[in-house]
Formats: sequence, structure tokens, C-alpha cells
Amino acid sequence: MKRILNATWRDMVLTNFAAIVAGIVLSGALLLFLGIDPIFVFSTSIRAILTDGYTAADILLKATPLIMTALAFAFTYKANLFNIGAQGQFYMGAIAAIWLSLELQNRIPTALLLLIVLIVALAAGALIGGLIGFLKERFDSNEFLVSMMSSYVVLALMNYLLRTFLKETKGEYPQTDPIARSAWLPNLIKGTRLHYGFIISVLFAVLIWVLLYKTTLGFRIRAVGQNSRASALSGISPTKIYVIAFLISGALAGVAGFTEMNGVQHMLIQDFNPEMGAAGLGIAILANANPIGIIFASILYGALNVIGTQMGRIPGANVPSSIVSLMQGFVMLFVIMAYYARTKIASRREKNKRKREAALS
Amino acid sequence: MIINLLSRAITMSTPLFFGSVSEVVAERSGVMVTAIEGIFLLGAWGGFVGTYLWGNAIFGLLLAMICGIAVAAIYGVVTIFMKQHQVVTGTALNILAIGFCAFFQRVLFGIPQIPLQIQPLSVIPIPILSEIPVLGELFFNKNILTYVAYVIIPIIHYMLYHTSLGLAIRSSGENPQAADVAGINVNRLRFLTVLFAGMMGGIAGAFYSVGFLGMFTTNMIGGRGWIAFAICFLGNWQITGAVIGTFVFGLAEALAIYMQSIGGGGFFPNELFIAFPYILTIVLTVMRRNFSVPANLGIPYIKEG
Repeated sequence: MKRILNATWRDMVLTNFAAIVAGIVLSGALLLFLGIDPIFVFSTSIRAILTDGYTAADILLKATPLIMTALAFAFTYKANLFNIGAQGQFYMGAIAAIWLSLELQNRIPTALLLLIVLIVALAAGALIGGLIGFLKERFDSNEFLVSMMSSYVVLALMNYLLRTFLKETKGEYPQTDPIARSAWLPNLIKGTRLHYGFIISVLFAVLIWVLLYKTTLGFRIRAVGQNSRASALSGISPTKIYVIAFLISGALAGVAGFTEMNGVQHMLIQDFNPEMGAAGLGIAILANANPIGIIFASILYGALNVIGTQMGRIPGANVPSSIVSLMQGFVMLFVIMAYYARTKIASRREKNKRKREAALS
Repeated sequence: MIINLLSRAITMSTPLFFGSVSEVVAERSGVMVTAIEGIFLLGAWGGFVGTYLWGNAIFGLLLAMICGIAVAAIYGVVTIFMKQHQVVTGTALNILAIGFCAFFQRVLFGIPQIPLQIQPLSVIPIPILSEIPVLGELFFNKNILTYVAYVIIPIIHYMLYHTSLGLAIRSSGENPQAADVAGINVNRLRFLTVLFAGMMGGIAGAFYSVGFLGMFTTNMIGGRGWIAFAICFLGNWQITGAVIGTFVFGLAEALAIYMQSIGGGGFFPNELFIAFPYILTIVLTVMRRNFSVPANLGIPYIKEG
């Protein structure tokens, strides 16, 4: 038994590694179309990451909100539900965070402000998530469609607010005023952009792991995910679980809005980070929806992001920014294919084992 | 004004029609084409590129179909033959589509000083028919894609409900084991319906670039693929339901454009109208009851033994 477990672990590491490398190599090869030497731009940007602490810390900075949106997807996924609307919940959290920070800044101590903003951003995300869960519970409406559409509605709401109530005092662009330094999440490492949001995200990942695997609620959520009918028979109400799972999922995505606003951007800009939700989904799949795995998968995505940005900065190379979504898309696609490869390898191993046993007897 | 609005509704429902009707066909065979947003986008891009490079919309539409089929083929291989999760695979392809279009737009055209333009498909008034009062303006003063839609509605309807091919498709989605016993190659048939959805979705995407705006941007689809996906669902997996649904959403979009053009009557913000089709989807999804979902929708078929 233990040997099989080890073998599946090895399969998982090897196939995923191959998938990631294949994704990077393929997107790199596409750079040849632009007459760009992929080896040169990759090695230059990786060297920049290795030699420059500021750039290296950016990897964890980029990973911070991704951990939260990936957790958001993974949490409902465990209950066999689909929250495709993490993008909207993330925006909702960002709107709440920026609005409250602008209201409260320089009035109350930083620590208190950050705590309040964190809680309200979390609640804002939970509001949208909870609404989706409620509609699922009450009307049995398809959560996949409702969550998907909710993102577009929140996006329109955000654009509206940026044009009206939240618009900068200069009144020029659809964006808010920057928040005061006293409302920023403090830096984690001096001389870099990395802030305490990273610690918050990691703590949430651990918390969600504990919640899922060490509590009765987590057990129930997973039970509903595996077989909602059977768990209903054993006295777990699946509909109640729908609401709870979506509330928590939305809350997690809302926190990402807080860390991005108070930690990195310090202002709300139209159409920022438009692929946060989709990337979170990809990360959750890469990590097999395991909260601890999500931390590492997010760091990988953060690294792809920073590598892409660094390439864009190489003078004269003209690497387009779309290389990031190409890399992320290919890696995600190949990781999905790696699942298939693993089932193939496992079934062949099983067959060989049976053959060997048959030969022995 | 009402005629104008309805006429516009029919125009705006054309791409949704292509997307949702082919989605119905694919879903009746048992596969949700969740890559539809990416298929639309690649179709829009292919349509633009073909038209721009060869100066003729026919080539644009051809390239749009090829692009749509290519995305659908990857999607079909991964979900049907590799049996991976449909929602997850679709999301990956949707991200990839954005990166791919942006990247190859750059490869082909560099960074142009002014946005590239193509001549949008021209409106072809049908002789005599377009002269009929009201109806002529409503139905017979459109571009070629809308006319194609008129022709294929009955064809697809007939195919799905009155031919052995349609029966095979429906039984693959309802009871693939039985279909298999009856000698139908379930996975191959499912793959073909997905390719069909890719082709039609490609045309749908091209409608936005070639048929309507005469340009391409990577955010031009903006959830329209998902709306077509939702229409299939709201139309209860029926061709007639999907056709009614596309008209409702076409009307919603036409209304949104109209309200924006008059500045929301000075009272409602434009964003409300932009969000209107999405809000409508949520409301209809919540209100809709008694679905007859294809029994094996989304479940890969694994042959026993």
C-alpha cells in the first residue's frame, strides 16, 4: 500500500513538472515568431529574479491574491460546486477595501483600520458568494451560470462607481484617489514591494486546510461533494452546505481584493487584474484543490507572471505582455492533460501488478 | 422606433443564435462546450485576420470557422477522449485564447499607430421581400450571416428531431450505454458535435469583428459566449427554446445600445444597461423551472470492458 502511495506521489510530481516545463517551452518557442531569442529572454529574466531581491519578492507579491482566489475556487470545488465568479467577488472586496480606506484613513490607527478593512472586504466578497449560494439553496438555480454572470454585473458596478462616487478628486480618469500611506499594509521585507498580505494569504490557506480536513463542517462539505444524496440520507443538509460553502468562498476572494488594494495598488483602477479569477481556478486544479498545495502553485504562477513582466522590460527585445496569459494557459492545459497521463500510468501499473501476481500463483 | 429596436434585436441575436443552437446540439450529445467564450474570441480574431489579409470577408469567415474548429478539437480531445473535467478544460482554453489572439495579433500586425479597420459586412436587402412594410425592415435588410441563420434554423431542427443522426446525438446524451449497444460510436459522435459547435461558434465570433464592428480587440466578446451557453440552458436544450432565447437576449442587447445612445434618459447609468443581459441571465436562471437536462450531460463516456 505504501509503495503504491509513493508511486502515485512520484507520478504526480513528475507529470506536473513535465506539464509545467512543456507549457513554458511551448510559449517560449512561440516567441520565435516575433524573431525573439527565447533562451536569451528567459535567461535574462531569470537572472534578474535570482540576482535582484526586489524582483524575487515580486513573485510572492503576485502569488498573494492568487492564493486567495484559488482557495475560493477550491473550497466550493470540494463540495462539488462551481464558483466561477471569484473575479467579481475579488472586485467587490477591492471596492469595499478602497472605499473604507479612503473614509477611515488618518482617522484611526493603522492596525485598527487594516483589521476593519480586512473584515469588510471579506464580508463584501461573502455577500456576493452568499447570494449565489442562497439562490442555489432556495431556487436550485445553476451556480455555475449565476456565479459566472455575477462577475460581469460586479464589473459594471465597479465601472459605475469609478465614474461617479469613487472617482478621483481631479476627476480625470475612472479611478479612485490613492489611499494614504497610513492605510497601506506594511512591508514584509524592506526594499521590496512584498507586504503582510502574503502572510495573511498563507494563514488563510492553512486555516482552510484545517477547516476542510480537521473539522466536522469540513467533513460535511467534502461528504456533500462526494455524494450529496448519500450525505442527505445521513442527515447532512446539502442545501445548507451550499450556502456556507459559497459564503466562505466569496469571503476568500474578497480578501484578495483587500490585499491588492491596501498592499499593492493603493488605488482602484478600471479593469485591473482581469484574470485573477480564471488564474485562481487554474492554480486550484494544478494543486488538486489542496489548500497547502495552492500556496506553492500560486508561487509558480507568480513566478510565470514575473518572468513575463521581466521579459517585457528587456530593452530592445519587445516581448509582448500576452506571453503571461500564453504561459499560464498552456501550463493549465498541460496540467489537465497530466491528470490523464497519471490515470494511464496508474492503470498500466495495476495491470502489470496483476500480471505479476498471476505469474506467481 | 420600436421597429428599429426589433430590427436591431434580430441583428444582435444572430451570433448568439449560432453559438447557442450549436451548443444545444453538442449538449444533447452529452458535452458542454465550456470553451465557447474562447471559440467566440478566436472566431472574432480569425474573421478579422482573414478579412484584413485577403481583403475579402469570405476568407475571414473561413478562417473564423477553422479557428473555432481548432479550439473545439483541442477541447474535444481533452474532455471526450482524455475524459477530463469540462468546466476546468474550458477555462484553460478561454485563458489561452486571450493570450493567443493578443500574441498573434502582435506577430501579424506589430503595434499599429492607428487601430486597424476592416469593412464590416454590408447589409444586403433582399429584393422584393425587403420592400414589405415592417417585416422587410425587420427580417430582410440584414447582412449575410443573419440570412444563413434563417436557413439553418429549420435544417438543424429537422436534423436533431427527425433524422437518425439526430436520434443518435440525443441518445448519446441520454443513455450512451444504450447508444453504444445500438452500434453508435458515442465518443466519435460527441467529438463531431463539438467540432460543429466550434465551427458555428467561430462564425458567431466573426459576427462581432467582421459583421459588426469592423475591428478586433481581445475584450470584444466580453461574455457573449457565456450568454450563448446560458441560452442553451435557459432554452431547456431545445432548438426552439434556444431561438426564442437568442431573440430575448438580442432584444436586451439592442435595448442596452439604444438606452446608452440616449444617455439612459438622463436617469439610469449606462453601466446598468451594459450589465442588463447578465442580470437578465441571472434572473432567468433563478426563475426557470423543470429542466430536462440531458441525463449524461458533462459525464465522459467510458466503454466497459
